[in-house]
Amino acid sequence: MIEIEINGNVVNAQVGEMLIAVTDREGISVPRFCYHKKLSVAANCRMCLVDVEGAPKPQPACSTPVNEGMKVHTQNERAKASQQAVMEFLLINHPLDCPICDQGGECELQDVAMGYGSDVSRFNEGKRVVNDSDIGPLIQTDMTRCIHCTRCVRFGAEIGGIMEMGGTGRGEDLKIEPFLAEGIQSELSGNMIDVCPVGALTSKPFRYELRTWQMNSVSNIARHDLTGSNIYTQTYKGKVKRIVAKDNENVNETWISDRDRFSYEGLAHKNRLLIPQIKVEDRWQEVEWKVALDFAVRGLVNNALNTRQANKLGALASNTATLEEFHLLQKLLREVGSENIDYRLNVKDLNNAITLESNIKLAELESIDHALIIASNPRLEQPMINHRLRKASLSGASIDVVNVMAFDFNYRLNSENIIAPNRTVLILAEVLKSILQTADAEIPEFLSVIKVSDVAKILADNLVNAGNSVIVLGEHIINNPQASSIAQLINKIAQQTNSTTLNISATANSMAGALTKFIPGKGGLDANAMLATDLKATILLDVYPQFDFHNAVQAIEALSNKDNFVISLNSFKDEAIAQYSDVMLPIASFYETSGSHINIEGEVQSFSASVGAPSKAKPAWKVLKVLADLLELPGFHFANSTQVASEISNQSHKQEEDDKNIDTTVKQGVNVIWQKSPYAMDVLSRHANSLQATKIGKMHSASMNKATAKTLELSAGEQYLGVPVLISESVADYCVFVNANQSTGSKS
Amino acid sequence: MINNIKKLVKDFSLSELRSGMKITAKELINKKITVQFPEERTPISPRFRGLHALRRYPNGEERCIACKLCEAVCPANAITIESEMREDGTRRTTQYDIDLFKCIFCGFCEEACPVDAIVETQIFDYAFVGSRDGSIIDKAHLLEIGNKNEKMINKAKLEDAKYR
Repeated sequence: MIEIEINGNVVNAQVGEMLIAVTDREGISVPRFCYHKKLSVAANCRMCLVDVEGAPKPQPACSTPVNEGMKVHTQNERAKASQQAVMEFLLINHPLDCPICDQGGECELQDVAMGYGSDVSRFNEGKRVVNDSDIGPLIQTDMTRCIHCTRCVRFGAEIGGIMEMGGTGRGEDLKIEPFLAEGIQSELSGNMIDVCPVGALTSKPFRYELRTWQMNSVSNIARHDLTGSNIYTQTYKGKVKRIVAKDNENVNETWISDRDRFSYEGLAHKNRLLIPQIKVEDRWQEVEWKVALDFAVRGLVNNALNTRQANKLGALASNTATLEEFHLLQKLLREVGSENIDYRLNVKDLNNAITLESNIKLAELESIDHALIIASNPRLEQPMINHRLRKASLSGASIDVVNVMAFDFNYRLNSENIIAPNRTVLILAEVLKSILQTADAEIPEFLSVIKVSDVAKILADNLVNAGNSVIVLGEHIINNPQASSIAQLINKIAQQTNSTTLNISATANSMAGALTKFIPGKGGLDANAMLATDLKATILLDVYPQFDFHNAVQAIEALSNKDNFVISLNSFKDEAIAQYSDVMLPIASFYETSGSHINIEGEVQSFSASVGAPSKAKPAWKVLKVLADLLELPGFHFANSTQVASEISNQSHKQEEDDKNIDTTVKQGVNVIWQKSPYAMDVLSRHANSLQATKIGKMHSASMNKATAKTLELSAGEQYLGVPVLISESVADYCVFVNANQSTGSKS
Repeated sequence: MINNIKKLVKDFSLSELRSGMKITAKELINKKITVQFPEERTPISPRFRGLHALRRYPNGEERCIACKLCEAVCPANAITIESEMREDGTRRTTQYDIDLFKCIFCGFCEEACPVDAIVETQIFDYAFVGSRDGSIIDKAHLLEIGNKNEKMINKAKLEDAKYR
């Protein structure tokens, strides 16, 4: 700790800290454009020049380290004169189109020009004009406005992991432009809009819609993934018009993924379910809420409750439901005596549950030395978790991957092992054996026949040698017939190597589903069993069977059973829902309801509604509460969702003891890993047109290598289970990796 | 007593009537100042702030670029604007409403406009009858006022320009 003097006041500073960090902490304003607290220092805008006593020239505060006894003036004649001079130069080529610029009102250049600019321009020559290129459906460019701060370039290189934007040419001819004609494809690209200090990069879906001062900013939480990124929803006349990132160092730092940023577009989609509807003699009628709820309750009572068949009533919820919705629905079911509750819709074998806890904080991920990623493409599936892993990798962590195909990682991998899903369990068993051998520990019986391969030996040694390692288990594992064995092996490996574990196999708000015990209790049926038996009544909470179930055809068939009275609480409508439902109740979507999200580290983040639900839609927790009231169930006297949340015990869901046998045999046959494409994970993203128009949004392919294609008698472009075949030699033999963004029926 | 006598003399000599008739006689031959509105009009200052209009460029393109600065500056919240990207990629209004009941004719909208699109003309003899809606003039109406009175607006602005 040293002392320096700024504007005559003595302040404390760390050795080696940049001057601008000190002034920011002390609340002394120094104008800047190129400096950004999360990016490297470029010192190319020169706006932050300050007067340092003893220095021959004014010094840029962003790249001047503090020294003991340093005397700095940020506002004296010399500092002001240089700041004004720089401002004048920056404004030379900046167009005067603030009135039509979407950045107007929140523009750093505008703000600083008010403080440091001159009121009259001395520049009479022609201004520079730069041609724009289309860089994709999310970001609009107006490069004439660019002041060459290079924040977007540095963002791409340092945070996004691919340097998509860059400077070409020199001096007057310098242009910031994408290197590739395809434009920007990063899953974090939207952050470039936030970092751009001027209107050169703005949001394309938001273009020309509103001026920034017309909107209200309301804090909210993005529920698309396990991060629960903090966001501001910016609203106007009861509609969400834009989403920007909100700082939270422990969760999302200053960044959010494109999915969090642009999914709001779906809220205004024409497919929203807006008015309660009941099916009378196979025809849909739009009715008042009261009629619809009475109809729903009558159906429940007649079909299941009156005939003392509460066990014939089931409830399924999508994993995007809020904590409160999960709690109320399971409470309703348990009050009427049914244990048929589940949210794990896309898992083929629920007896084969993955019992693996996450015991590492998001912020701690940055400081690991080694990571073993299994069955995951974190970059697209959990962008913010991947960002932390990338940070760890950049600061020296080695990262090993065991995946079914080579994914496009945006950091250097120590080793990438392409292994078929049916061999994953084997390689983990080998790793465990190798670790035990290294430690001279007793080898359990189930490992006795395992022969440790070289690959496994290396993976094991890396885990053993690392001081601080994490094992990440990803989403591609959920339908692996040996998922439970894999999870147990990971637990054992983690114990042996003192590693932490990160289970990112269930996404969105699944943690809340687990916490509220939204899973069948004693004697209850799980999601698959419910579909296999003839239920008399079913309550579905925002479920879209064509996407959410691992076998859509079978699920729709089961739900369409004539005797099954189906109450659908949905925010969007589609044909399948209309086919099997008896009542459709419109519910509020993301940002329209209050509730809570639980992220991967167990952090409960509550949010209030940013806007009201459109038309007659109501928040689902209210609908569930009224349903319970109409069923005359006790204990549903809630006035708001906060009261619901406070009822939920803070006991975390206890993992079952590992007492199942670990099965290390290799199952034969073609392995199919079926994934919804990253922007088709939840219903809101699926309806966001701009997101769907991106390259990631369009991902719809079944990747396999030539040998597999030959075995399956397919060639590139042909349909495999309704998804076009993509030949890629990076896929393991006899494996198919599907990324589907449309509903395609059967998945196995 | 003496006052009563004075009053009597004044009343009977018809002096007040005579002084009144004197003015009448004088005005009979004086130049008339009565204006026969609406056929005749009094001169109006170029800075007069009357009914609003939206102007166009000489090539017929509307000036307004939907920057919403008038909406922001309006102290009476009388202006409502919705904007979009027109097919040719330019920023345009889809709705531009001025509520004349709310408007206090302060002229801030005109001051704020970066493209001289919204102006207050010298028209003051407008009237709206019937419903509340009649007081809200929309974009088409405003552009029409602009089209019709471009000459007058242009002249007034030119006259005032040298003092600005």
